[in-house]
Amino acid sequence: MAAADDGGRGPAGRDRVRARWLLVAAVLLALAAWPPQWYPLPLRLKLTEWFGATGYRALPESLPAGAAEPEPYCPPDPENWRGRHSIEGVEIGESAACVADNPWAVAAFVRGTNNVSPDTLARSGLTADAVEKGRDLDGDGDPDEIHIRLEVAELNGASTLPGGPVTRYEIAPGVRPGLWVFAPKLVGMAVENFESNRARPDLRLPSPALRVEQGDRVRITLENAHYMPHTIHLHGADHGFVSASGEGNDGVPFTSEIPVMPGHARTYTLTPRQAGTMFYHCHVQPHVHVMMGLQGLFVIEENRPDNWLQTMNIGAGLVRVPSRAQREVYDRAYDLHYLDLDKQLGERIQTDNDPRLIARSMHREYDVTDATQDYFTLNGRSFPYTFRESLVTGGENERILLRVVNGGSKGLALHTHGHKFTATHRNGGEVPESARSPEDVIWLATSERADLALDLTNDGTHAYGPGIWPFHDHQNAGVTTDGIGPGGNISAIVYSQYLDEAGWPQTRGVSWDNYFTEAYYRKQIPVWQSYAPGLFSDPGFDGRLLLRLVGLAVAAGVLLTLALAALLRRRRPRAE
Amino acid sequence: MSSSWRTALTLLALALLPRWAGAQDEVPADDHAHHHVTAPSGSVVMNENRDRLPRDCSAISRDYAFTIEAGRAYAADRPGSLFGYSLNELAVEPCSRIEITFVNEDEVRHQWMVHGLPAYLYPAGMFHLETPGKTRARGSFIVPGDDRTYLIHCDMAQHMEKGMRGQLVVGRGSGDLWGVAGVSDDFRRSDYLPGFAPALVAGAVALAALLAWLALRGSPFKE
Repeated sequence: MAAADDGGRGPAGRDRVRARWLLVAAVLLALAAWPPQWYPLPLRLKLTEWFGATGYRALPESLPAGAAEPEPYCPPDPENWRGRHSIEGVEIGESAACVADNPWAVAAFVRGTNNVSPDTLARSGLTADAVEKGRDLDGDGDPDEIHIRLEVAELNGASTLPGGPVTRYEIAPGVRPGLWVFAPKLVGMAVENFESNRARPDLRLPSPALRVEQGDRVRITLENAHYMPHTIHLHGADHGFVSASGEGNDGVPFTSEIPVMPGHARTYTLTPRQAGTMFYHCHVQPHVHVMMGLQGLFVIEENRPDNWLQTMNIGAGLVRVPSRAQREVYDRAYDLHYLDLDKQLGERIQTDNDPRLIARSMHREYDVTDATQDYFTLNGRSFPYTFRESLVTGGENERILLRVVNGGSKGLALHTHGHKFTATHRNGGEVPESARSPEDVIWLATSERADLALDLTNDGTHAYGPGIWPFHDHQNAGVTTDGIGPGGNISAIVYSQYLDEAGWPQTRGVSWDNYFTEAYYRKQIPVWQSYAPGLFSDPGFDGRLLLRLVGLAVAAGVLLTLALAALLRRRRPRAE
Repeated sequence: MSSSWRTALTLLALALLPRWAGAQDEVPADDHAHHHVTAPSGSVVMNENRDRLPRDCSAISRDYAFTIEAGRAYAADRPGSLFGYSLNELAVEPCSRIEITFVNEDEVRHQWMVHGLPAYLYPAGMFHLETPGKTRARGSFIVPGDDRTYLIHCDMAQHMEKGMRGQLVVGRGSGDLWGVAGVSDDFRRSDYLPGFAPALVAGAVALAALLAWLALRGSPFKE
């Protein structure tokens, strides 16, 4: 206490008195500011015993509902791509969903880009050598020499200039993962126009579904216009280990060939003897390249006379010109390509522009064994965009063929509402009649394919009658987009009476304004806000609690300074 | 392509001409309005113009002819680039006519595209040469009379970003564009740092703190 008496006189002593007052003030402030809901439980119970409950204080009000700013559900179709067309003698069926393929491109794929008029070619957007068709070797009225050319293109990639990713492609509103795709050879710019960063409609995910006939002499030239090495592996399709010209033909860098380097081209050849739904993909660092989107359906149709095939189906989906064999059994055929994507993988092409940095990041720093999937697409889009272009549409008693591939790294538990389908083929082989049964879930492991027959007869087994019947992966992640639902690969079987003129399904549930708003998939809009704003909107904040926290922070600051000062004061005599 | 089709396309272009001429420079991009000619080799020349003068030119001031090679080889001297042109900057006089011979040495498609030209002469403001692998294309266009710098690029996905970006300087130009290969810097540049950079920075901070402490030792704590 001698020091305290001392302090009453000298300047150091005055400091010490001030420090004591400060200490008392800080402790009192801390006690007063401490939020009652944070008191220890025994203390709270004791206080309740003594004084009873504290008075009612309303919880914070709901924040006002932010307005959803939806984009149009169904974009216009100014050139009537959805309609029935007859181009170059090719009868192109109607496409009922609201976004359809370019019918001139469809005609060029059927006749061959080398066999159509300059006007059709110009309207197709394709180069004259995109799909060349040659001689009819078996004299059955259709061409058997097929030369397909594929390029590799990057979507949502890096740029050294201001602005976001370039050659933009959205799988859902505002969702733009970095992607690599095999692409048909297209004339002109990769984007819609000079003012736009958006990829043209025919440059997209998934890589196009390819269609050839059993016995065709097929050449597939990979023109690697991308900045990384790639190959094509014809998964499940009958091909020789070396090509007709003696080059590697299996696409595997460590067993058959040096990859096709940027700026270079190589031709793969095959004459497939077995029909079936197969697959093609890049086999260079496949754990990365295949999962970036370098994969597509490869369909080998049964040989029939006068069987002019739609060699490419851009974006998969409805086959506008089905094969003869399909027309014998089915009213319509769809290619359904499922894929899952890891957001963290796609981002790696958006951060740096230098191919050396990208190669290191993707092939050495990225660890696929730690990967998780964030996006789930059907034909290159997630819900709600799947409803624009990947609806399965039909009428009662129709028969529909679905050719399904799961290109994702997770399995797919494909489930149909309102229908039981029958798997007629699996992985390119026929399922014996005795083993077939109507099912409503089919499990497809990575790279597995199935041909599913959908019978729209309302018999209580195959179908339960007209409606809008969703079909989707029944695993929980698959119906979300980065954890937000509804998203992922949800689409629907829609009967014609439930479609409006523009091809949009007349749903009876909630408004879709949220789902067509970017902010919804950025997790900024409460999921039921559109119809239960008071109930489930975000609450406002508790101002009183915030004030108490500021009080606690001030007290803590004062106490810290006092503690530091005391520490230094205790050390000083030793320093002197 | 047969000559009848070429004639038909030319007639189509002439039929559409009044529409272009009546429009202002901000004509919306419209692919179907382009006049493009596809050669048997598959190369495309879009919006060629050998004789129609820009509004601010009374005559062609001068004729230029450039040969531009394109391909992997022309990026070899620029680290971190993959594709390139043999010539990234062209300087010409206002109102001059420029003939480009575009030689694609790769086995994939490449383009040589100029943007920002007057839309009343060049639909969407574009002059465009495109060639499949191992082919060449030739075309001419006439530049307006004002000093301006135009973007040249290949618009295949990522080709501009990976090196195929040039500029056409008419007269004194209007300032260098960003990211012209070998001419101007990229607007965004990655951080090229060694793995030990964080340790180096942390070490430097620690060393500086130690030196400062030694220099001022004791003084802040003295009365």
